[in-house]
Amino acid sequence: MQAALDTLTTARDTTIALLDTAAAQAVATQQPEGLDRIMLADDKLPVVLAVVLVIWIGLLFLLFRTDRRISRLERELKD
Amino acid sequence: MDWLHGAQAVFLKDARLELRTRFALNALGLFVAAALVLLRFALGDTAVDAPTAAALLWIVIVFAATVGLGRAFVLEEERGTVLLLRLTLRPSAVYLGKLAFNVALTLALNAAAALVFLVLVAPAVHAPGLFAATLALGAIGLAGATTLLSAIIARTASSGPLLAVLSFPILIPLLFFAVQATRLAFEPGATWAAAETDLLGLVGYGGVMITASVLLFDYVWRD
Amino acid sequence: MPTPDRDTLILPRYGVGWRVFTIVAAVWMTVVLCLGFLGQIAKLPILEHSARNLYFHVPMWFVLMIGFLLTGYHSLRYLTTGRRLHDVRAEQAAVVATVFGVLGFITGTIWARFTWYAGTNVWWNADPRQVMVVIQLLICGAYFVLRGALEDERLQARLAAVYALFALTTMPFLLYVLPRRMASLHPGAEGNPAFSEMDIAPEMRWVFYAAVIGFFLLFGWIYTLRVRIRAAELRLAERRQDPLTV
Repeated sequence: MQAALDTLTTARDTTIALLDTAAAQAVATQQPEGLDRIMLADDKLPVVLAVVLVIWIGLLFLLFRTDRRISRLERELKD
Repeated sequence: MDWLHGAQAVFLKDARLELRTRFALNALGLFVAAALVLLRFALGDTAVDAPTAAALLWIVIVFAATVGLGRAFVLEEERGTVLLLRLTLRPSAVYLGKLAFNVALTLALNAAAALVFLVLVAPAVHAPGLFAATLALGAIGLAGATTLLSAIIARTASSGPLLAVLSFPILIPLLFFAVQATRLAFEPGATWAAAETDLLGLVGYGGVMITASVLLFDYVWRD
Repeated sequence: MPTPDRDTLILPRYGVGWRVFTIVAAVWMTVVLCLGFLGQIAKLPILEHSARNLYFHVPMWFVLMIGFLLTGYHSLRYLTTGRRLHDVRAEQAAVVATVFGVLGFITGTIWARFTWYAGTNVWWNADPRQVMVVIQLLICGAYFVLRGALEDERLQARLAAVYALFALTTMPFLLYVLPRRMASLHPGAEGNPAFSEMDIAPEMRWVFYAAVIGFFLLFGWIYTLRVRIRAAELRLAERRQDPLTV
């Protein structure tokens, strides 16, 4: 019974590995762990999201800095 | 001719002052010796292969140069002789004189560093000629890149570590060529032909740095 | 060099033309974002969907280079004309280029981590392009340190301009040396032709060009805002010094 279950699990794993070529190619048939599991899902689309988010946050940072300088400028004008 | 005489005069003045006190030479020599002794202690009895040896040697040289070469123009500021130089000589003559002195100083530095390095770390030098040529060309490149920068830092209030900060990113190409050529000299079967691109790179780097410095020095020098 | 006086800080008026530019830039970037996520891409192993990063990561690097070249151009103009506006432009171009450079560096590291180094847990592998960006950022950092070390405004502007131009002369060496000295996985390295994705899916090329233009527009926008603010700050400081003459 246990042996049959094992064979079944192995068969399922093989099928998943075959279907999920992303994981198969990325980490030679090893199940990705931790960060890789999130980032390598959906054909690595999360990587694109991460990159776009980083750029967005960087531009936001510039925006806030510029905003602060305008505020300071306005304060000085009022004096 | 007047112009060359001016450069020569600046060089001779600096050389004479240096030989009177030997401050820069002693400081640089001690810096290099101490750094290499520290290096030897840190290495323990680890054997050093050719690429590592080349990298270590040039790191020590670059650090020593950024510590020791910053004084050329700072001294003039401290003694208050800048104004006289400005009045009597054309900027390019001052630059060339200082450059010549720095090249001489760096050549001495490189020779000392190489000697101590050969004794303490003892890499096998398979092409002594190539090794010497790399050290000489590297000295010209180092002096060419740092002389203008030392003129810049002489005008700042606190020169401290500024020369190192300004010169490291600029010295990276020099470091690449010099380490590569030195590595080749340390490896068995070293030939001049193998190091040709690196030596040409060193020559080109020195040439470009000195040309750019001559063109830009005017703006740093005048008030 | 002519003596810099206060009217060299006066900027052109930013009127209707500028308003049109900002609208074009905004719409353009929005379209690029949509195309970047929805457009056809070449499905390659290892890259997969992350090939879309071509549109978002690569332009960062272009902006860093062009931004620093702009610093060099305005530095040269400052040295020849002595107009303070050129100094303001040079400094602000360096600031915005540095921010884009840092973004390019971070995004490139993330992208590489989950493609070339997937499963190895490697973030940094001293790839020539990574080293190149770090060197460029070090130069930008040194440029700002130098500016901070000089009190006198004119001296600061002049020496910073000299340093920017001096640093720019080492660029050809870096571009020549680095790719030859270090093995690379980056597209464009030997045996790894640049943008092979685009040969497979030609439509990617057009989105890529549009993205590059879009990020340049964005750079121009932010840069112009910062130049205007900096010029206003300096003029205000001047007015405070001698309120009667202005």
